[in-house]
Amino acid sequence: MQRSSLLAESLAILGKEVASELRRRVALNAIGLFAVTTLVAVAYQIGPYGLAEQDRPFLLSALLWIILFFAATAGLARVFVKEEDAHTAKALRLAARPLAVLYGKLLFNLVLLLALEVIIVPLYCALMGFAVRSVAGLILVMAAGGAAFAVTSTFVAAIIARASGSNALFAILALPLLLPLLVAVIAGTRAAAGSMELAAVLPALRAIVSLGGVTMVTAVFLFPVVWRD
Amino acid sequence: MTEKTWQKGLKWLLGVWLTGVTAAALLWAPPAAGFQGDSFRIVFFHVPQAWVAVLAFCVNLVASLRYLRGRRPLDDARATAAARLGLLFAILATITGSIFAKIEWGMFWNWDPRETSIVILLLIYAAYFALRQAVADEERRGALAAAYAIFAFVTMPFLIFVVPRVYASLHPNLVEAARGTVRFKMDPHMRMVLLAALVGFSGLFTWLYTLEVRVARLVAARRAQEEA
Repeated sequence: MQRSSLLAESLAILGKEVASELRRRVALNAIGLFAVTTLVAVAYQIGPYGLAEQDRPFLLSALLWIILFFAATAGLARVFVKEEDAHTAKALRLAARPLAVLYGKLLFNLVLLLALEVIIVPLYCALMGFAVRSVAGLILVMAAGGAAFAVTSTFVAAIIARASGSNALFAILALPLLLPLLVAVIAGTRAAAGSMELAAVLPALRAIVSLGGVTMVTAVFLFPVVWRD
Repeated sequence: MTEKTWQKGLKWLLGVWLTGVTAAALLWAPPAAGFQGDSFRIVFFHVPQAWVAVLAFCVNLVASLRYLRGRRPLDDARATAAARLGLLFAILATITGSIFAKIEWGMFWNWDPRETSIVILLLIYAAYFALRQAVADEERRGALAAAYAIFAFVTMPFLIFVVPRVYASLHPNLVEAARGTVRFKMDPHMRMVLLAALVGFSGLFTWLYTLEVRVARLVAARRAQEEA
């Protein structure tokens, strides 16, 4: 009974987020346009022939994640900031338990990130001539990386919404926490590009999953403190 | 809040101890093989500084957890004091490390994994203070800063212990851990001085930390007096 109602509450919040996002499309526009603009700038300047053959897997993986990372920081904080801006946070606090809010918002950010990846990664591969040997490995790294990314950025979004709500503060707080994750996802993407074997991405995938797991557990414990104060 | 006699005694002991450590580091420790000139002697200051930066992070964690449990303003002051000293020692460790890198590898900075991890520790401390400055309400500031500090702490092991050991590093490794055994790769005299320096710097941190906490107590008492 208890568990199913937590799930139902979380899904209801996810539904509310999706509905309100489809109505205004602020986060979608910010993330999508940011990603496409940087992608076009990178593709125009570097393109498929701008890099030496031996540098390609390494530099192209790093560039891809830089595009995804900065596009994500442009929009992920909104999930909590908008509640404070619209003065709806109090109503939400009354309507749902803290963990349901965390799970719902986290799922929404995850959907947003995965949608961003689904659009940007194929475009990037086509425009930059990024040949990925192990597509399954890349999908695993992208999915796990996106989930771990969503956890940290949702938690930091909750903190900054209760502070000043500025995007600059979001970047300052999130960057040092996301850096180890970025190192791991770039290594994983490079491994997927360089080898047909699925086993090649495993070391990076282990780091991503453990980092994501640890941050998720911590977020579950700490979120009520951030949300209730 | 007057100082007790044993506290004065400890302070003197700390002074004498650190003087002894400095003298031993510069004069007594034998030259290490494989390093240019006397550059290796910076290890007796650089390693304890990095150690204190991490120790301060742990003290900050404990104080943050206590704050979230009891909401006592003094615990928040403890967490801030630890973070401030941690930031200071992280900066010192970065500077001494750069000097060593310049002498040994010819460049002040070369994005060695260890260097990267100390920069991220610095960034976390800086972010912690940026967050504190962005919140006006005292209790909310304490709670948010504590939540951020605890969250940052769980990502730190990945930075300090995993990343530098997974990726190739120029950084000299003091401890060799293989097949379940851990041993120091160091001359016994050097090791003795280094351990003494670690104890001395931990003492220095403790002294500075208690000073900061005493100041915070006085400020709180003064404010209570004014309000009464």
